[in-house]
Amino acid sequence: MTAVEPRPQTAEVRASKRTEILENRPVNLDGFVEEWPEKGLVAMESDFDPQPSIRVEGGRIVELDGRTREQFDFMDTFIADHAIDVDTCEQAMAIESVEIARMLVDPRTSRADVVALGRGLTPAKILDVVKLMNVVEIMMGMQKVRSRRTPANQAHSTSAKDNPIQVAADAAEAAVRGFAELETTLGVLRYAPLVAIGLQVGGQVGRGGVLTQCALEEATELDLGMRGITAYAETISIYGTESVFVDGDDTPWSKAFLASAYASRGIKMRFTSGTGSEVQMGNAEGRSMLFLEIRCILMAKGAGVQGLQNGSISCIGVPGAVPGGIRAVAAENLVASWMDLECASGNDQSFSHSAMRRTSRLVPQLFSGTDFVCSGYSGVPNKDNMFAGSNLDTEDYDDWNTIQRDMQVDGGLRHVREDVILQVRNKAARALQAVFAELDLPAITDEEVEAATYADSSDDYPDRDVLADLEGARSVMERGVTGLDLVKVLERSGFGDVAENYLQVLRQRVSGDLLQTAAIFTGDFVPLAAVNDANDYAGPGTGYRLSGERWEELKKLRHVTSAENPEEEVV
Amino acid sequence: MRPPLVVGVDVGNSTTEACAAEVDDAGPTRLASSLTPTTGVKGTPANAAGVVTAVRKALEAAARPGAVVDTVLLNEATPVISGLAMETISETIITESTMIGHNPETPGGEGLGVGTTVALAELGGQDGPVVVVVGAGADFDDVAHALNRAVEAGVDVVAAVLHGDDAVLVANRLTRPVPVVDEVAAVDRVPLGMLAAVEVAPPGRTIRTLADSYGLASTFALDAEQTRQVSPVARALAGTRSAVVVRTPEGDVTDRRIPVGSLTVSGATRSIDVGVDEGAEAVMAAIGRVAPLQDVSGEPGTHVGGMLAAVRDTMVDVTGQPAAEIRIRDVLAVDTMVPVTVQGGLAGEVSRENAVALAAMVRTSRSRMQAVADEVAAALGCDVRIGGVEGEVAVRGALTTPGSAVPVAVVDMGGGSTDAALLDRDGRTVAVHVAGAGELVTKLIDSELGLDDREAAESVKRHPLAKVESFFHVRHEDSSVQFFDEALPPHVFGRVVTVTPEGLVPVPVRRPVEAVRTVRREAKRRVFVVNALRALAQVAPQGSLRLLGSVVLLGGSALDFEIPAMVADALAPHGVVCGIGNVHGTEGPRNAVAAGLVDAHAAALVAP
Amino acid sequence: MTTATGTRTLTLREIGPAERGTRPEEVVIALSPAFGDPFTKTIVDVPHAEVIRQLLAGIEEQGGVARTIKVYRTADLAAIAHFGAKLSGSGIAVGILARGTTVVHQRDLARLSNLELFPQAPLLDAEVFRMIGANAAQYAQSRSPRPVPTRNDQMARPRWQAKAALLHLKEFECIDHARAAVEVEPVITRVD
Repeated sequence: MTAVEPRPQTAEVRASKRTEILENRPVNLDGFVEEWPEKGLVAMESDFDPQPSIRVEGGRIVELDGRTREQFDFMDTFIADHAIDVDTCEQAMAIESVEIARMLVDPRTSRADVVALGRGLTPAKILDVVKLMNVVEIMMGMQKVRSRRTPANQAHSTSAKDNPIQVAADAAEAAVRGFAELETTLGVLRYAPLVAIGLQVGGQVGRGGVLTQCALEEATELDLGMRGITAYAETISIYGTESVFVDGDDTPWSKAFLASAYASRGIKMRFTSGTGSEVQMGNAEGRSMLFLEIRCILMAKGAGVQGLQNGSISCIGVPGAVPGGIRAVAAENLVASWMDLECASGNDQSFSHSAMRRTSRLVPQLFSGTDFVCSGYSGVPNKDNMFAGSNLDTEDYDDWNTIQRDMQVDGGLRHVREDVILQVRNKAARALQAVFAELDLPAITDEEVEAATYADSSDDYPDRDVLADLEGARSVMERGVTGLDLVKVLERSGFGDVAENYLQVLRQRVSGDLLQTAAIFTGDFVPLAAVNDANDYAGPGTGYRLSGERWEELKKLRHVTSAENPEEEVV
Repeated sequence: MRPPLVVGVDVGNSTTEACAAEVDDAGPTRLASSLTPTTGVKGTPANAAGVVTAVRKALEAAARPGAVVDTVLLNEATPVISGLAMETISETIITESTMIGHNPETPGGEGLGVGTTVALAELGGQDGPVVVVVGAGADFDDVAHALNRAVEAGVDVVAAVLHGDDAVLVANRLTRPVPVVDEVAAVDRVPLGMLAAVEVAPPGRTIRTLADSYGLASTFALDAEQTRQVSPVARALAGTRSAVVVRTPEGDVTDRRIPVGSLTVSGATRSIDVGVDEGAEAVMAAIGRVAPLQDVSGEPGTHVGGMLAAVRDTMVDVTGQPAAEIRIRDVLAVDTMVPVTVQGGLAGEVSRENAVALAAMVRTSRSRMQAVADEVAAALGCDVRIGGVEGEVAVRGALTTPGSAVPVAVVDMGGGSTDAALLDRDGRTVAVHVAGAGELVTKLIDSELGLDDREAAESVKRHPLAKVESFFHVRHEDSSVQFFDEALPPHVFGRVVTVTPEGLVPVPVRRPVEAVRTVRREAKRRVFVVNALRALAQVAPQGSLRLLGSVVLLGGSALDFEIPAMVADALAPHGVVCGIGNVHGTEGPRNAVAAGLVDAHAAALVAP
Repeated sequence: MTTATGTRTLTLREIGPAERGTRPEEVVIALSPAFGDPFTKTIVDVPHAEVIRQLLAGIEEQGGVARTIKVYRTADLAAIAHFGAKLSGSGIAVGILARGTTVVHQRDLARLSNLELFPQAPLLDAEVFRMIGANAAQYAQSRSPRPVPTRNDQMARPRWQAKAALLHLKEFECIDHARAAVEVEPVITRVD
């Protein structure tokens, strides 16, 4: 009884051969349900969502979307007090929704103008605006309002066996393929320090300036960040209703406090939310998925974080099963960007059995470009993906590169020659081998390095002595090993270039460059963020255009017949 | 100006120990010691990394990180390499699916039923008594219903054999109770139309009729010759709670010795061949007869031969000596029992078969410590000297244990070998290494408990056992009870666990604490106690333990919670004082060699 | 594994208020508000009659005894199972939601902890329910069962996540704060 079993067919009724073929198509393994708006099982068009309203008295919002301050729950309070601009809101709310929707789409209205207008809108008003937009209009809007001019991508680098060597090698490969951020998590949480070290070392081997994070419970995640073993944090979940927040023993204020803890050390961080989480937990309070997600987006903005990961994320099966659900997911990404947040736009969870559906779910973010098209793309085979699988994995690399080339869009990746990949994988494994040796951690054998060079999945590596590794992981935490210690160790053991890359990442913590909205690094450690690489899209011929050296890079694929000599392929 | 800083370093098989001291005319002032895993095989250049780490750690512990070291003292490590092998020497084979002798958790009904085997689908109309055989996929309600209907129709159903875990369920639903054996995975291979007997004993008892040769004879009306032939069946079934025996024309159960190859043990004057399948006692007796042992080789093409060749090859790599010059200087053979899946069994039956475990040891006089010394000198930029022979230095270190006196013997129980050395009244030392130590114990525990999990076996070896009886209390192996204020984690609930400093760790066995404890203690006795006595006898004056005086236990195993007491108990009848070393009264059984090197260095300075 | 021929229906005959049991080896099966009525099968169409029959069979095969209770005041699995465990003579209970999600609980554990949890309802079939019953009976007898192997399927999300949410909402609709838990006798009738 698994999800891959075809649906049982009623034996008595004779079906046509065509029906049989259709029944066996992968798309029919996906689940679809009817809407139930009363309970919030509806994407974005519900009679049970509130009507937009706002009233300001004495410099304070006293009514928000039909509720007076006495009726506010803590989400309303937080949004009214921290997310909406009291000075402009009455004026902004007076503008017809259709007018605002058109401003979002019209290239002649500048990003700055629509962002400024957005500061004065309530959740219901924002919903009212995006409800008017079809999916192409949503993409038009996204193309203009995303923060960073240059699109980027993020990868997952995990191991079903929590093998730090695998994580290092796959991180190196992902980095050299172009991912700007790398994220890991664990099966056995106690492995975290070793896997986080593997991710960081491997990432810096692949390409200097890659940012890494390790998704864990909040205290350990913060600890690893403060030690400089990781460079950013992303898995700080927020929810659209008070009841779900309270179930998790949290409030908007506690999340905002945690955000400040990261900021205090110059660590990049973003919140995570997404459509469907509240109804999934049975506490949608009768609101549509998108309305609740817009509340999350405004809460994130009010908390002062620079960005948000959204696009349903781990609840994608819920919007994916209702009518218009994937349009709502595209809309939530749009709203996050419109609210001037960095948007890491999902496409990061097993979404469908159908390759066509997987691709179409990706189109709005890939074609319009977002700050991180995937958050993340599985840089390991999906069976090794400890985030429960992604919408794309290592098997899709060549397809992705081909789509970039077909459509002339930049999804952040590129084709890399085999010899380069083998070289960075090998070097990542050797660098980690040296780090483990210097730190008296359980040795990494030459056999493991060899395996890492050529491996696909965790099955291709010798098994580690798990108990010894866990003991080593414990000692890393107890000895207070920091990112700076790792830099020293890399330098001592002959990986000076990797040490240099890592040190640069740590330095940025002091300069604070990573606190700017949507900050990433180029391979030369030039920060690209909304302040110095602001999105200046203003219609055809403007904004980010795939051209020049980068376009030449993206023209390369695994097999392209040479025009000069058709008997050979371009290398 | 501070006095020169000297660090003594002892490279052991598994750990490298360091002792940092300031040495001047007044003698050494010990600052701190450290411990780190040995890098590479002892006595090879790969050790240098571990030595550097150990020195660094000792300096950090002395609160003098990065201090300039004047001299590093290294021991002259004797490379001792050990290898392990285990050979099963008996096996049980069932032919023609004549017997099912397993212990399903929950058989159904009770008593003995003898009849002809019939498939469930064919049930109905049979004349004599029948044993119903039920294949995979049958539902317990349906099976019980079918059996009841057949009985109503006049069929004499006397027993049933099932594929699924349904025996109690089926038995509970029968109008006429019969014995039912279940979880027979290969039930489709049970021969049909043959006379068969099914027996189930009451809970907590074992079967009587089928596990007895004459019981079988009565059941199947056998003559004397036939009875003799089926006696292995009876033996194989002894101790089970349920069994099925099918009488087939050629069916048989055999219990045979497996030829696993022989060892050629060579002494100075003669060589003896001994078959490993003769057991540990025979092997050890042969070694005793040729003593002192010069070399051992295994029969080519056998596992034993392969194991000894592998040990030899490793030594060639380590020393660079040609294979022909490598000698195996000691072998320890231990009898053991291992659970083995019975060949031809229908229910995945497991029988406990005899096996012999072997530890072999190779030694060479040529070590490559000079290469280690050169690398360490380059890395630390200081003078590196290779000091005295390990055994001598260790015994001097041990002598600093308060209360010890010459003559003193030390026993160092490590991972691969057990070492003994003696310092006599004339200041002479003798040292020996014998094969077999901690790793062999782990292997015995692993195989005897059927764990197939080295980590779990290691945990059983190192820590006492307990049974988690509720979320708030455990019963330790000494039957004392410990209560907890906070609930224990769910994964240990109801389980046999090891009590480790990190908490309770479940042991993946279904046997009681007592059984696991017996396996653990027996493994330690057969290796550590036997080897301590064996090694001491080799260094003792005239081979007499009585003349040893005092024995100091050193090394990691001296920190074990029960080994020192087991060894001391074994030595007590010989009038020997035996205790755990406490080097310089502070270091415990650790650091004897490292501290000994520093002491010897300081002594040499004072009296050049 | 056994697959029953014919279909069976489940009726939960109310015996009286759910009370604390005294038999030291008993296992309590605690059912959620929508289990058996109004719902009749799990998220993957395993009939509730079969779920109960296999749980009871697993307990019986191990020589255990079972009592079944139905809870109305909460649809939270941990709360249902923990409530059952507190009424169980052995302290062991199996809690189960209408969609099939199951947990083995013990009364001394924190509510959100458990002995064994089976969160992926789409992966639970008759065989797994049998093993869960057998393990619960063994825990109740202070034996050490091997945990039931957990299954995992990343593609369960696209197929079942929304239906699970829907069933969850429906189960919540069946909560009756005014109605105390009752002991029930599961009556399984074969209909063919």
